[in-house]
Amino acid sequence: MSIHFEKVNYVYQPNTPFEHQALKNVTVSIPEGSYTAIIGHTGSGKSTLLQHLNGLLKPSSGRVTVAEKVITASTKNKELGDLRKHVGIVFQFPEAQLFEETVLKDIAFAPKNFGKTQAEAEEIAVEMANLVGLPDELLSHSPFELSGGQMRRVAIAGILAMKPEVLVLDEPTAGLDPKGRIEIMQMFEELHLQHQLTIILVTHQMDDVANYADHTIVLEKGEVIAAAAPKDIFKDPRWLVKHHLALPKATNFAYELQKTGKFSFEKMPLTEKELAAALAASLKKGGNQTE
Amino acid sequence: MNKVILGRYIPGESLVHHLDPRSKLILSFYFIIIIFLANNWQSYALLLVLTLGGVFLSGVSFGFFLKGVRPLIWLILFTVLLQIFFSRGGTVYWQFGPLALTSFGVINGSYVFCRFVLIIFMSTLLTLTTAPLEIADALESLMEPLKKFKVPVYEISLMLSIALRFVPTLMDETEKIMNAQRSRGVNFGEGSIMKQIKAVVPLLIPLFVSSFNRAEDLATAMEARGYRGGEGRTKYRIHFWKRNDTLACIVFGLATLVLLYLRNW
Repeated sequence: MSIHFEKVNYVYQPNTPFEHQALKNVTVSIPEGSYTAIIGHTGSGKSTLLQHLNGLLKPSSGRVTVAEKVITASTKNKELGDLRKHVGIVFQFPEAQLFEETVLKDIAFAPKNFGKTQAEAEEIAVEMANLVGLPDELLSHSPFELSGGQMRRVAIAGILAMKPEVLVLDEPTAGLDPKGRIEIMQMFEELHLQHQLTIILVTHQMDDVANYADHTIVLEKGEVIAAAAPKDIFKDPRWLVKHHLALPKATNFAYELQKTGKFSFEKMPLTEKELAAALAASLKKGGNQTE
Repeated sequence: MNKVILGRYIPGESLVHHLDPRSKLILSFYFIIIIFLANNWQSYALLLVLTLGGVFLSGVSFGFFLKGVRPLIWLILFTVLLQIFFSRGGTVYWQFGPLALTSFGVINGSYVFCRFVLIIFMSTLLTLTTAPLEIADALESLMEPLKKFKVPVYEISLMLSIALRFVPTLMDETEKIMNAQRSRGVNFGEGSIMKQIKAVVPLLIPLFVSSFNRAEDLATAMEARGYRGGEGRTKYRIHFWKRNDTLACIVFGLATLVLLYLRNW
C-alpha cells in the first residue's frame, strides 16, 4: 500500500486564539514496501502527519491517498473504520492503551473489533505473543503485572494482531533499555523483510534511521524540507546542523576522522559496519606507505 | 474537546485580566446572587450593561461568550419552554389541556432566558480571564477564615490546584488513548447505547490506571522535595488587592443600589 499526501494542510482548533497550523502544504509519498523514517525537531508535525495515515485526523485541505482510499476534509468517519485495519499505529508509550484482564484478551481485542471470532482472535493473539517474544505463561497474566518492556511488547503485539499492511511506529523504543531497544528494532526489521510490511518510523534516533530505513522524510515547522534516502540526507552535515538534526554516530565519527586529514571517505558510512569496512579498505591501502 | 469554552483561560493583558482573582471570584458569585433580585426589564437591562461592560473590558472576542452558551442551549430552551407553557396568569393567548400560552408565561420565560445567559456570560468572563491556578489561590485565600472551624483549607486548596493543573494533562491523555483505541478498531460514539457504553471501557481503565501511577509518582516527587503538609509553608504567588479591585467592587455596589431602586417590590 503506497501512501500519497497532496498539498495537505492541517490546522488545530481553527478560528480560535489557539489556532495552530501543524502541517503546511505537505506533498510527499511513501512507497509501498519501504521502510520510511520521519524525522524532525520536536513540534515539527511528525505526530500530526502520522495520525493522517489511518484517518484519525482528516486534512483541513488537500488529500491523503492510502492505497485506493482518498481522505479529504469531507470524508465521513464511518468510511475510515476499514482503513484502520490496514494501517496499524503503535503510538508513543503504547503500554498506556492496555486495559483487558489478561494479556491474551488484550492482544485479541483488535482482531475481534475487526470481525474475527473469539477463537480466531485468540489464535492470532498467541501467534503474535510469540512473534514479539512474550513467554506463553504470561498470556494469562494481567497486563498491569508486567514490567515496562513487557507491557510495550504486549501493546505492539496488540497492533500486529490486526495484521496491518502498513505499520506506523511513533518512537517505539522511547524509554527502553538498550537491550530491549535493539530487540524491538530488530523485530520490526524482520517483519519488514519477511512479511513485506511497509514501515513508517518516527524517531529522534539517527542511528535507527541509518541502520534500518531506506527512505527518509524530514519535517520542519509543518513543512517537508527533504525526502530522500538516508545516505543523501546525511551527506551534508552543515545542512543538518542548520535544521537542528544530528548525524548518526558512525557518520559523525567518519567526518571527525576526515577532518584530521589522514582519512578520506568516498561514500560517507552510515552504520558501524560500513564505517569498519571503509576504514579497513583505507588502512589496507595505507599499509604500503611508510611513515 | 475543542468546543468546550467554559473553564478555558485566554491569556491577555486587559483590565479584567489584571484584577485580583479574589475580587473577580467574589464579584462573579455576587453577580449570581443579585441577578435573582432583578424582576423587570429595566433591572435586567442594568445587569446586561454591567455584564457587557465586563465583556468589553476583557478584550476577549464576543464570539467566545456565545460559544460558552452553545453547549447549554438545549437546557436553557427546555427550561424556558417549560416556563412559557406551564405558567398561568395574565392574558391567555392560547390554551390546550394543561398547556397554556399566557402573557405571564412569556415574560417569565424570557426572564429565565436572560438569567441563564447573563450567568453563563459572567462565569465565562471569570474563567476566560483568570488562570485556573489563580482561581485556586483565590479560593484558598477566601477559605482562610474557615480554618477556625477545623476545615482543612490547605489540603483542599492543594487538591484543587493539583486537580486543575492535571485537567489539560488528563485531557491530552484521554485523547491519546482514544486515538490508540480507535486505531485498534473501537468506534466511540457509534452504535446502540449498550455498544457505546462498552466502547468507553477501553478508555476508562487505562485512564484510571495512569491516574494511579501519576498520583504515586507525584506523591513521591513531592515528598522528595520536602513537602510535609500545609502547615508552616510560605507562598510564592502572592496577590495584591489594587485600586481597580476596589473600583470594581464599588461599581457592583452602585449597581446593586440602582437595582434595588428599579426593582418592583
